[in-house]
Amino acid sequence: MFKWKKLGRIFNPLEVKDKPWLKEFAQAPATLVFDNFVRVYFSCRPERDASGQYVSYTGYVDLSRHNLLKVVGLSEKPIMELGGLGTFDEFGTYPTSVVRNGKETIAYYGGWTRCESVPYNVAIGMAISRDDGVSFTKQGSGPVLSFSVDEPMTVSGPKIRRFNNQWYMWYVAGNKWRLADGRPESIFKIRMATSIDGVSWKKMNVNLIESVLEEDECQASPDVIFFQNKYHMFFSYKYSSNFRNTDRGYRIGYASSDELIHWVRDDSKAGIDISSGDEWDNQSIAYPHVFELDGKIYMMYLGNEVGRFGFGLAVLEDYSI
Amino acid sequence: MKWKKIGKIFDPTYYELPNNCKEFAQSPQVLVFDNFIRVYFSTRERDQTGKYLSHIAFADFDKQFNVIRVSNKPVIELGRLGCFDEHGIFPLNVLRAKGEIFGYIGGWNRRVSVSVDGSIGLALSHDAGLTFQRIGDGPILSSSLNEPFLVGDPFVKVYEGVFHMWYIFGTTWKMYSDGAPPDRIYKIGHAVSQDGIEWEKHEDGRRIVSDKLNDNESQALPTEIKIGRRHHILFCFRESSDFRKNKSRGYKIGHAYSDDLLNWTRDDVNAGIDVTEGAWDSDMLCYPHLFEMDGEVYLMYNGNEFGRFGFGLAKLDR
Repeated sequence: MFKWKKLGRIFNPLEVKDKPWLKEFAQAPATLVFDNFVRVYFSCRPERDASGQYVSYTGYVDLSRHNLLKVVGLSEKPIMELGGLGTFDEFGTYPTSVVRNGKETIAYYGGWTRCESVPYNVAIGMAISRDDGVSFTKQGSGPVLSFSVDEPMTVSGPKIRRFNNQWYMWYVAGNKWRLADGRPESIFKIRMATSIDGVSWKKMNVNLIESVLEEDECQASPDVIFFQNKYHMFFSYKYSSNFRNTDRGYRIGYASSDELIHWVRDDSKAGIDISSGDEWDNQSIAYPHVFELDGKIYMMYLGNEVGRFGFGLAVLEDYSI
Repeated sequence: MKWKKIGKIFDPTYYELPNNCKEFAQSPQVLVFDNFIRVYFSTRERDQTGKYLSHIAFADFDKQFNVIRVSNKPVIELGRLGCFDEHGIFPLNVLRAKGEIFGYIGGWNRRVSVSVDGSIGLALSHDAGLTFQRIGDGPILSSSLNEPFLVGDPFVKVYEGVFHMWYIFGTTWKMYSDGAPPDRIYKIGHAVSQDGIEWEKHEDGRRIVSDKLNDNESQALPTEIKIGRRHHILFCFRESSDFRKNKSRGYKIGHAYSDDLLNWTRDDVNAGIDVTEGAWDSDMLCYPHLFEMDGEVYLMYNGNEFGRFGFGLAKLDR
């Protein structure tokens, strides 16, 4: 059982001025720790375009390592450009997950394109930074993880980790589009792939986490941490339809594993839920990112409307098996 | 190679085809039986939006190439909502291997900023090729770091127990003039597999056939045959803009050969086939398909208007 203490919202995109590419949303926080600060990558959006649609960029905010509630820097521009005409990431780079590899920093991200019969499709791209994560160069104009027989669509939401000299990617894959009131809604589940070099990936091709709400439960943001001799996964999950602004929206779930392959789900141990009252996270709570810093375990997460109002921080107060 | 043209052997407008398809019999793909040959092709239905959907149908021919039967029901359904082959199959490349009939799907789906994307899927037939069922909703070969989109045009052969696939991948979408929709450039790649299901690109992004026209050359629908010790591929190639109505920029047949399945030498002079003035293939030659039957080597292909009015046949002159 985990017990988290919420420390409050730490970044609100609506308070940012003079950055046209960072007008709305701050989604999917992912940290990279430096000596004196913690860089938090997130995905954000300019105002809707002429067709009424969004694109999504990834930027970062730097927090003081000694006081994570204090912002000490903000990226001047997105860490990478959108893709060229017809490419998989022409309309968005969301979410982004980063890992250090020697002097380089490697980012994996969901690249978004627009489709005719369904609103979008997503595949996972890879980019490398040689300036401590300020700017990233894509490793190709195509994706590093794409569609396959059992993962036909929306391969997205990468979370990159390295354990025991192996690269692990947890991500989500769509298995169908379901029509809800005539609108196609993507159904996606948590999956895993492994690699020895970060470039060539082997998919496990199974749904890692059983569904509890309904067969078409949607699962996202599988974030894994090793702690007290166990692997712990925090993720978010929701109903497949009618989930906007209702109690069918995102909550944070939990699963554990001894060997990274078989996972036992037990959401009652997650230890974090929506807030009461008129807080920024009183309707939904999503996209957990869990990390260790200076002897403490922290969680970043999104509040209402999947990050429209930014992300917050919680610290682990208590853990018992 | 040198080909003797036999002529057009199938016109889709003479037949009643499933799925409301009226015109087009493109990219013929052959499955040889003891007493007849089955030729799969892509034909078209217009949907409510006025855009085309490509469906697979077949025609059976006796061994003198007379039509004896046309498929009266769908050979394979189009893919589900949001899948790689939702809006068309072109081509369905069919072969017998390891006791199965494999059907490799060139699947198409529509995009917004560009017209389409594509990936390659797999279906199997358990009724001698009358119908095919997918092994899954997703593709077996798709985009990758250096093959960013438009993975299609599969052609599969088995040599010494290894499956080889020649296919194409897109390299560029380009707006050639203001207001015109973007056109694409694609090149030929090669992948291998032990079981026909799990594929590995031989080298991500490697173009196995050099350009003849310029960087903007598009190369499509590779087809392969081994004659003696030498492997030959035929394919069609064209300029990537103003190619639909401008004969000088449209599809022609190209040729390359290899003795090791790795290194290919382009040698269009020995494609051995060209347009015929005044005939059904006077302006364009495209979508070649090589096959062997009873010791002879044949080539099926489309002519003018990308096969709107059918496909023809040529025989290798030995």
